[in-house]
Amino acid sequence: MLFNSLDYALFLPIVFILYWFVFQKNLTVQNAFLLLTSYFFYACWSSKFLGLIILSTLINYFFGVLISEKKHHSKAYLTIGIVLNLVILGYFKYYNFFIDNLVALVRIFGAELNIHPLQIILPIGISFYTFQGISYLTDIYRRQTQPCKDYLSFSIFITFFPQLVAGPIERASNLLPQITANRVFNPQQAILGLKLIALGLFEKIVIADNCAGYVNSIFANYDQESGSTLFLGAILFSFQIYGDFCGYSHVAIGSAHLLGFNLTKNFNYPYLAQNIADFWRRWHISFSYWLRDYIYYPLGGNKKGEYKKMRNLTIVFLISGIWHGADWTFVIYGGIHAFLYILFIYYRKWTKNLSFLNSNPIKPLYDFSAIVVTFLLLTLARIFFRADNLENALGYFKQLSASSLFEKPDISRLFVALMFGFLFLEWIQRNKDHLLDLSNIKNKLIRYSIYFIILFLIFYNVGNNQSFIYFQF
Amino acid sequence: MKYFFNKASFFLIPILLVWMGLEIFYRTTPNNYSVKAREVQKHYQSCEILILGNSHAYYGLNPEFFQIPTYNFANISQNLYFDKLLFDKHIHNFKKLKWVILNIEYTTLSHTDDIEGETWRKYFYQSQMGIEVDLIPFYDVRQYSLSVSRPLKNSLNTIEQYIEKQTLVDCNESGWGYSYTNENSSTNMEYVAEIVTKKHEDHSLDFSQNLNKIEAIIEQCKQRNIQVLLISMPVHKTYAERVNSHKVSKIHQSAEKVAKKYDNVFYLNLFSDTTFMDSDFFDPDHLNHQGAKKCTQIVNAFMNQNN
Repeated sequence: MLFNSLDYALFLPIVFILYWFVFQKNLTVQNAFLLLTSYFFYACWSSKFLGLIILSTLINYFFGVLISEKKHHSKAYLTIGIVLNLVILGYFKYYNFFIDNLVALVRIFGAELNIHPLQIILPIGISFYTFQGISYLTDIYRRQTQPCKDYLSFSIFITFFPQLVAGPIERASNLLPQITANRVFNPQQAILGLKLIALGLFEKIVIADNCAGYVNSIFANYDQESGSTLFLGAILFSFQIYGDFCGYSHVAIGSAHLLGFNLTKNFNYPYLAQNIADFWRRWHISFSYWLRDYIYYPLGGNKKGEYKKMRNLTIVFLISGIWHGADWTFVIYGGIHAFLYILFIYYRKWTKNLSFLNSNPIKPLYDFSAIVVTFLLLTLARIFFRADNLENALGYFKQLSASSLFEKPDISRLFVALMFGFLFLEWIQRNKDHLLDLSNIKNKLIRYSIYFIILFLIFYNVGNNQSFIYFQF
Repeated sequence: MKYFFNKASFFLIPILLVWMGLEIFYRTTPNNYSVKAREVQKHYQSCEILILGNSHAYYGLNPEFFQIPTYNFANISQNLYFDKLLFDKHIHNFKKLKWVILNIEYTTLSHTDDIEGETWRKYFYQSQMGIEVDLIPFYDVRQYSLSVSRPLKNSLNTIEQYIEKQTLVDCNESGWGYSYTNENSSTNMEYVAEIVTKKHEDHSLDFSQNLNKIEAIIEQCKQRNIQVLLISMPVHKTYAERVNSHKVSKIHQSAEKVAKKYDNVFYLNLFSDTTFMDSDFFDPDHLNHQGAKKCTQIVNAFMNQNN
């Protein structure tokens, strides 16, 4: 059931009405209903993987209790719990990648391995709920959260349908107390939820899906396109993936608001980032912080010298890359981010004493240039993210760097300009919580007109039902 | 809660009104589906040739130029899945049917039942042509609302077309699509061919499912002493040059094989027929009025020879 589908447009109001009008009197009943709807939501993708998500819930539930109660062996239980989570994820997501590369490696040495890849379907959302489970176990071990002894509440923590398939990756300390407490309908929160759903649908349907039409064609036929078209194609992919994922997150957070929950903010105008570090504080925030808290810090973070800091950053970004998909393109994507991040650390040291960069009129120009350069670097890195394989990615770069880069592009430049217009709107709203926060516009007519325009654009463009890119992760 | 519902209703009511307006429009305005469903019944007693297939047959075979009564039951993007459903529903009603024509195009044998980008059509087949489409699951609410089955963008274009032409129907009483005239034919064949051939390429050489459907139609025709003509309609050279030639020859071989297997089946391959000039084409893969007349006369002569 896609967020941008008619099915969800019917599912959510039905859940909303039953949730607040039929089951609201008893928290247990309301939670049981929430769990059933979450299972139903997941079963609409694939009922056969419902068992897997229940297994994952059981593992994390029991190991959470064990880590808390068996204090002398808590580290062992934590390790086993994390390994079990990773074994499930590894089997479904990385088994074939591992086998393919092992066979290729052995072949280099002149031997043949008689192991074949399996027909494995990747269960939707597995990367997200596995990471959420790992963070839960780790937080209990660190005494940052209490184990949840109510299995029903814990099941909702793992399967809560708005964030089940593509995040935000929630911490137990944020979501579990909301599940176990009585919820009172808050009209302002619900209205904010509707606004975020509208914004998310706009980002997905109007921005991402329209970009997808160009991007899919350009990446499929990159060898026949000019360098300039490929350049704009890569830029449009940046907008596509942003609209797609940020749109998903907004609908998820908005849907949760309608049910009285506050989920973690996942995006904060990432393309206004002035450097790579800033970008990762604004893009897929719940994932960035997960990597920081559960990988970077345990590795020592930046406290064990310069070399280890670089090593830790590289490990974190390589994991970030491979988390997205089992392919070398994603490893390289992560590697590029690590390289850019380390480069930025040195650049920051170098520019620290250049005080003129903070003086007028240099600073606004410098900040603007920093945004442009960061956006372009990320856009180029994303070619590895989008390409079907390494060969295509390198071919894309080769074609991109040809002299045809200066030819007239075979793509609507008006459309590209409109995308940058969207970015400009984000810049105007950069101090607001979200793009549709129009509280500064006092005139009701103007405010409502903007909402109606947004709604019209959504309905005008709806109908393709293109899936979300991050569902494959 | 009341405050929330008041606010939500303010935005929801206009959406519901637009939905209702579109639903009324689709339910009350005749279109090719509703007109064909009605008109075909008038031909039950007299029709001797029934044409099935997609837009190539719809625009390219004009019943007026057949020597015996003919009904063109083809439609835009009508694949073999719907050909078979329509055939099954109506075949027993035809009293004098001698021939069924099925067109075999570049996409015909490899297409999936539910064509990507055209999935809305199945709701119109079910709702307006009265056929049970098993591609639609019971919980799919779009089967109850034609307006939500199509993107709003398409619906607004349809309304614009209706305002401009005062009708959504572009076929005559014998089912032939008449809107591809000689005058409004495309002038930039190369450009259109580039786009169309890319759109038509599904990279599939698996013809088994569609060949099964063809053979099922043939078997039924055989039982009723009806002859079947499989026809590959003419295409412009810009189209023929751009499609996968290996796939084209495999398609033609498959059609020939079927024709050899059954004694009531004939295959006429006009795909690259040089009789057809540039002036016969509306666009790279559709004939205009002039081309349709020429093609129908060739088919008519072929049928006379093999009758």
